[in-house]
Amino acid sequence: MNGGLRIALPAGALFEDACRLLAAAGVAEIDPARLDRQLSLVTPSATVVKVRPTDVPVYVEMGACDAGIVGKDVLWESPRDCYELVDLRFGACRLVLAAPEGSPLTRGSFPRSLRAATKYPVAARRYFDSVGLAVELIKLHGSVELAPAMGLADCVVDITATGRTLVANHLVEVAEAGRSSARLISNQASLKTRSGAVNQLAAALRRSVMGEAGGASIPSAAGGWSAP
Amino acid sequence: MSALQSPARGRAGGFADWIGAAAQRRRAVTEAFVDSFASWGYEYLATPLVEPLETVAAGVGGGLQAQLFRFMDADGSLLALVGERTVSVARVVATQLQGSPSPLRLCYAGPVLFNRAPLGGRRRETMQAGCELIGHPGLAADAECIAVAAAALERAGIAGVQIDVGHADFIPSLLDSARLDAGARERVAAALRERDLVAVEEALRGTEVGDAERELLLAFPTLRGGREILDSAGSRITDPRPRRVLADLAELWTVLDRHGITASVHLDLGAVRDWDYYTGPTFELFSADLGWPLGTGGRYDRLLAAFGAGAPATGFVLHVDRCCDALMRGAGEDPGASLVRLGYAPEQAREAVSVASRLRDAGVAVALDLEPSVPPPGEPLVEGCAHLDGGGVRWCLGGREGSGLDALLAARAGVDG
Repeated sequence: MNGGLRIALPAGALFEDACRLLAAAGVAEIDPARLDRQLSLVTPSATVVKVRPTDVPVYVEMGACDAGIVGKDVLWESPRDCYELVDLRFGACRLVLAAPEGSPLTRGSFPRSLRAATKYPVAARRYFDSVGLAVELIKLHGSVELAPAMGLADCVVDITATGRTLVANHLVEVAEAGRSSARLISNQASLKTRSGAVNQLAAALRRSVMGEAGGASIPSAAGGWSAP
Repeated sequence: MSALQSPARGRAGGFADWIGAAAQRRRAVTEAFVDSFASWGYEYLATPLVEPLETVAAGVGGGLQAQLFRFMDADGSLLALVGERTVSVARVVATQLQGSPSPLRLCYAGPVLFNRAPLGGRRRETMQAGCELIGHPGLAADAECIAVAAAALERAGIAGVQIDVGHADFIPSLLDSARLDAGARERVAAALRERDLVAVEEALRGTEVGDAERELLLAFPTLRGGREILDSAGSRITDPRPRRVLADLAELWTVLDRHGITASVHLDLGAVRDWDYYTGPTFELFSADLGWPLGTGGRYDRLLAAFGAGAPATGFVLHVDRCCDALMRGAGEDPGASLVRLGYAPEQAREAVSVASRLRDAGVAVALDLEPSVPPPGEPLVEGCAHLDGGGVRWCLGGREGSGLDALLAARAGVDG
């Protein structure tokens, strides 16, 4: 276990940005194309593995990786015993409640019984509970936008980045249920047993995203507090 | 018949069978813990696997209560399989042991169960061993528990343990001295409980919290180090309550130093634990190559009052199965079966029983062949010893009267050496 941290990166939409961030922060130079052919890469500073986004928290919680990069939307659905250290800002998207054009929901009128299709049942349940709506959730695994058109559900709770998919399926946003972006998470023991390395990683990524976003309000995590 | 239609002989997910060296290791670790506790004067206590649901619920945090195995008693009341054993000890202390001379030193070892969704990689039945020191409010008791936990891990052969010591009142007292409004305070506390630093920052944004408190709250994962971090934190804090916590930790450090264990102790001001349960110093034990704490502990002065017999208390639990994992990953060495499998010629059946018995008296494990060894026709039975795959030796008594014992003990010494 000498050498660098073991870092889990999510395959898919966040992958290239995650590699770019690790490089920009001076953590590890990773050629995304190489991780197309192989699933793990050992650099002098870190061992990087590429796994399904939903598997990132599993690797990190179980201690197979010290840290990981994953969308907040994934963490909503599978809460795990990890520390969530830094908002990495990229991969931003919103969880919205959307209903077909012309639906009473779009005018703020909610029928007594409502069925919502979603890939995010945990986050959807939390949202509906917070606004006091009793809703029958239907868990789907994809193409959620289709459900209202086919009469499967009255509305959807789904992730949108640009809103184009909603428009294409004649859906109108009714309310925002949450905001997601990529997060740096860490294993609970790694944060204690490799605190120097994990906090350095967090500080480096934070500096990097703060620089890009142009504004800093968080002090450097490593600022004078870490154990040597 | 396809494999998917085979008869029902599966095992419920999240449960394990313990076989061979793994079973041996698990039992040895459990026994090492209990022996170590006993050597510090902790009396062993056995409590049931089943308790009333409300008893069990008093000891596990809100999120875990939903994960208890529950079922209904004959009278309709709800029962649960225990998810930890401190509440059972507390129940005994508040009832059968009421009026015992204080302080009480008690220890236990046994399985605990959680009805977690299988396939998540987390065990549903685990072995826990722990100590409770009840009736003493001082830091000497907290320090003793940390020292006992460290000694028990050492006795079980787990090296390189890191002990993180925190205090349940540090972050709550910081939150109070930050003078947040009730809503913001709850949001920050909830975010800290969920170990979500991003949400902590969001919850603090737009509040009037002072710079020192903001910085301390946001830097919570990094508020760790040796004795010197207490001065460093103290220089930024003026409020008396968090300063009292720092003074307590300084005194605790002094007592831990007396126990000679400060070399493996980190003070962790950002320790995020169950603040509703813990009331004073808390600690977690880590091994370098395991993603989970090996054990956790702390002061819980409120729990006994829930059983109508309020008393200060502190204690800890060690997770036996995680400790076994750490042993596997660390040395990776099996205890090695030192068993002797004893064979004999037909005419030596009587002597073999006697040799086996004397060996067992000398502390050697012996499995005696149930049938004598018969050499091929015309050949003598070969006397001697062969090392078996997976440890241990096979020894055959070779015909000469009284030839076995000394050579066998010597052969075994060779194996152990």
